[in-house]
Amino acid sequence: MKSDGDKVRKYLQYGLTGIAMVMGLSACGDNNDLSLSQNSIVYCSEGSPESFNPQTITSGTTIDATTNQLYDRLISFNPNDNSIAPGIAKSWHVTRDGKMITFYLRKDVHFHQTEYFTPTRTLNADDVIFSFNRILDTEHFYYPVSGGQYPFFQSVEFDQVVEQIEKINDYTIRFKLNHSDSSFLSNLATDFAVILSKEYAQKLALENHKRNIDIYPIGTGPYKLKEYHAGSLIRFYPHDKYWQGQVAIKQLIFDITPSNTGRLTKLLTNECDVIAYPIAHKKIGERSDLILEAETSFNIGYLGFNTQKPPFDNVLVRKAVAHAINKQAILDAVYFGQADIAKSIIPKASWAYDDSISDQEYSIPWAKSLLVQAGYKNGFTMDIWAMPVQRAYNPNALTMAKLIQVDLQKIGITANIVSYEWATFLRRVAQGEHQSVLLGWSADHPDPDNFFTPLLSCSSTITGSNRAFWCNQKFDELIQAALATNNINQRKKYYAKALAIVAEEVPLFPIAHSKRYQARNNRVKGKILNSFGGINFSKVSKK
Amino acid sequence: MARDKIYQEEEFPSPLLQLWHNFRQNPVVMIGFGCFIFLVVLAIFSPLLTPYSPIESHLDSLLLPPAWSDDGNISFLLGTDNLGRDILSRIMSGASLTFGISFIVVIISMFIGVVIGSISALTKGIKSSFLNHFLDVILSIPSLLLAIIIVAILGPGLENTLWAIVMVLIPQFVHITRNAVTEEFAKDYVLASKLDGAGSMRLLIYSIFPNIIEKIISQATLAQSAAILDIAALGFLGLGAPIPLPEWGAMLKNGIDLFYIAPWTVYMPGLAILFAVVATNLVGEGMRHALKLRKES
Amino acid sequence: MLLFSLRRLNLLLFTILLLTLLSFSLSYLFPGDPLINITGRVLATPEQLEVLRQQYAFDQSVIEQYWSYLVHIANGDLGVSMSSHIAISTEVLSVMPATIELTITALIIAMFFGVPIGFIAAIKHKKTTDNIILAVAMLGYSIPVFWLGLLAILVFSIQLGWLPSAGQISLLYEIKYVTGIQLFDIMLSDSEYKWQAFQDASSHIILPACVIALAPATIFVRIARTAMMEVLESSYIRAANSKGLTFKQIIYRHAIRNASVKVVRHIGLQFANLVTIAMVTEMIFNWPGIGRWLIESIYQRDYTAIQGGLLILSSFIFIVHIITDFIYAALNPIARDTHYGS
Repeated sequence: MKSDGDKVRKYLQYGLTGIAMVMGLSACGDNNDLSLSQNSIVYCSEGSPESFNPQTITSGTTIDATTNQLYDRLISFNPNDNSIAPGIAKSWHVTRDGKMITFYLRKDVHFHQTEYFTPTRTLNADDVIFSFNRILDTEHFYYPVSGGQYPFFQSVEFDQVVEQIEKINDYTIRFKLNHSDSSFLSNLATDFAVILSKEYAQKLALENHKRNIDIYPIGTGPYKLKEYHAGSLIRFYPHDKYWQGQVAIKQLIFDITPSNTGRLTKLLTNECDVIAYPIAHKKIGERSDLILEAETSFNIGYLGFNTQKPPFDNVLVRKAVAHAINKQAILDAVYFGQADIAKSIIPKASWAYDDSISDQEYSIPWAKSLLVQAGYKNGFTMDIWAMPVQRAYNPNALTMAKLIQVDLQKIGITANIVSYEWATFLRRVAQGEHQSVLLGWSADHPDPDNFFTPLLSCSSTITGSNRAFWCNQKFDELIQAALATNNINQRKKYYAKALAIVAEEVPLFPIAHSKRYQARNNRVKGKILNSFGGINFSKVSKK
Repeated sequence: MARDKIYQEEEFPSPLLQLWHNFRQNPVVMIGFGCFIFLVVLAIFSPLLTPYSPIESHLDSLLLPPAWSDDGNISFLLGTDNLGRDILSRIMSGASLTFGISFIVVIISMFIGVVIGSISALTKGIKSSFLNHFLDVILSIPSLLLAIIIVAILGPGLENTLWAIVMVLIPQFVHITRNAVTEEFAKDYVLASKLDGAGSMRLLIYSIFPNIIEKIISQATLAQSAAILDIAALGFLGLGAPIPLPEWGAMLKNGIDLFYIAPWTVYMPGLAILFAVVATNLVGEGMRHALKLRKES
Repeated sequence: MLLFSLRRLNLLLFTILLLTLLSFSLSYLFPGDPLINITGRVLATPEQLEVLRQQYAFDQSVIEQYWSYLVHIANGDLGVSMSSHIAISTEVLSVMPATIELTITALIIAMFFGVPIGFIAAIKHKKTTDNIILAVAMLGYSIPVFWLGLLAILVFSIQLGWLPSAGQISLLYEIKYVTGIQLFDIMLSDSEYKWQAFQDASSHIILPACVIALAPATIFVRIARTAMMEVLESSYIRAANSKGLTFKQIIYRHAIRNASVKVVRHIGLQFANLVTIAMVTEMIFNWPGIGRWLIESIYQRDYTAIQGGLLILSSFIFIVHIITDFIYAALNPIARDTHYGS
């Protein structure tokens, strides 16, 4: 027994020495530690990207993680006045009939060099043509990769617009259009129209790993992908040959934190430098080292009815529900008064906004009588699908769903709230499994068409961004007509008529137009939020 | 500790009465017992007692702090949540969900567990050995995981939570009944009635049950505190009570997003759970202590 | 000892067999097609499904299906996740080590504090110290763990700023995956920031491990207290006492060792409880372990993942159970002869 005791004492000694060594060593390394965090930015994002190629998706989470970080576009929006600014194309020329557009490319644009690809040449016309032909040409060797879905381009009927893309020389290309389209340049400037590397694509095709083009991205943007763990993190390294000059930090990390409170906690404990969609604005305001930012963004939060499924195939039922919901209460409880009531899908800041459209008045007796007319005297049971993540247009869909649940109870409708993990949720909603869904839309560019076509046109019922699955021939004709002309007054008239149809048919119930919020530690400098599309880390630095 | 009994004819109180007698001695335990009774009353009568409906929204008073705070309002004693629902009313109605259901859960699983346990105590050989191992396997699965899996089979919802936790608790009751019955069977008084010609059923009901019932009840209090925590945990994970119901765990989950601006939405349901579990544990503790005293005397 | 080992291994085998039976039957109990539940191939074409049907013997009797399921498990094939389409075995391997690291740390913390406090309570039996310890212990195992976790983050991460609130390590550090147990991997890595990473990872594990440890620690207090009281009443202590040894000598030389042996016996049983608590705690602290992975699989109705996770997690608990049995037997020769279950 005595020897045992000695042994124990000996182990204890070893253990204590070990601990002391660890403490001592870690104490002297503090300087290095500081430099590591000084050169890195941790951004707490709200979800995992579905893909690393924005051509194939529509979700804002994916755009945030990809477009401005990994890629460049031919043209982009000037963040100050939302005019169109040069990107990879240093200049462009549009013929008078609007059917031929020539782009002149930069010559010094390098692609990423990573562990999985080393480029041998700089960007040229082949890469641009490859990137667009992948979307346009159904026979293209990359078209079916990753499912052959290009939802944004399909919803604006890009293939109907573009007749052909010509290579004039290595640094000049020309788009030939079938007809003039007033939103064409805006569409090219959106976050979806990124330029990929043809050389990389050919290499992958040889290795028979075509799918990797959307999983291990190669672009020309300010950062390159280092590693990605779904549900956990994305690590970016700077692109040292970025044509606008290398960024000021050594590492950009997306810390994927779906929980709202989790993100706020990490901001408060300095585990994150910047967080997406902060809650509890008051709490952030109390801390002098934190900054809350807001950017007006073109968006709409709505309750969409699945018009293909009973009972919402009946317009009376849709109207009854619309009249039963107390919008003002939602604005107070969910947006904390930081949003505008939405009367239609178009926000006030857009030139297509029509003041004459009136709101669905909150009136329980009216709603009840509509329900009786529709033949649902005793009400019914329905599902409300509430999106699980926070977006600018809807900071808390679950709370919103609960409020609507209470409202609907008053007219005898029992609502069940359904929710899934974000990627699953989007997939199921796109398949039309829902009865009604709380969702929203953020515009990708300032043209109002970006609200009409993706949200409510017949073509987008197929691509899945029209979650109401509502298809109205007259409405479609109006928005087509609006696109065919460049005369703003003419377009305004068409859009006003289209909005009137929507107000009459109620395929969705507009709720609010909101700002997009972001919070950061004041050590992080540089603009990150834009009015349109995703966030941009190319200008950030850390003090 | 031999003690001479002078009056052999003295009538002995039943084991349960003796237990109660010892139980009463400890004041702390009696406070716990009082709280327990209070919760039972609350669980039954909460619809009559709450100041407001638990799902009614007061949209003009969102996120009010409790009444003792400077911005509080006396008509909402414990404040309101982000939908303007009165937290006091929700906590009170929650008693019949979280606490009330745990009570029902324990009674159902106790009944089933005792029946299976006694039957298995009377069987021997391979069947009994298999059952024993099977129980060990079930007991080695974390109770919450098992409940979650049963919920995954049945689908989320309050009623399914109830059945899931019943199934989780049954093995514990089977285990304890089986051991207690086997132990009693070996005792002389059972042998005596056996020699009198009593059948196993008769033995079980008249000789053994009165002597093991307190063990089972003591297990029941343990099971109930576990059941409260499991119901609340399932609610917290969003797998239990559906959304508008004021189940305490679900309330806590709802409060998380408000933690930094309205911390009382997290404190209150947490305290309610703690209160219910401590009350239950105190009763259980007192029971076990009393049992020990009775054995020692 | 040989007989003892054989008996335990036999038991382990039997248990794992029963667990596979349970997880196999789950594929029938879960909603949907059992074949898809067991393989997780939601995207399979009808032709691929036909191939799978044959591979898993789903065209034959249930017994043969079970057998082919066992063969698949033996080959390390637990199907693919219904949501991420990655092999379950790969996913489990990437999350299981984090849970092992967390639970073992919590177990050590629970014992390190719980057992000595229990001994003190026993030595001071029926005094104020004893009563206070018992009261605190009761409070400790009554606190709902998710609530405790939130309060701990509020106090230690936000108000005091001592410890980080989420994750296994600050994402700034790039640590290569070797064993999956972060602290070991850091030691094995050749990063220039090795020691800061180690310090950072240790500070990340403290808070969740302590939150998990609280309830088991209070149970260890009670177990240790009972064990020590039994030892103190035993005849050899009375003998030592009558030999004239001081109370201190008796406690340090004899009582602690013998009471500790008795405590070891209960570790296995407490471990299932500890893992339950860890599952919820992983959710709160965003710990990338199997508990969080399982709960998220439930949210996504990923039945294949639930089946696989149940099997692996329960087997892990049972293995820990058996290991503590062995340790107990090694420390206490009498235990080797007792039959299982008695």
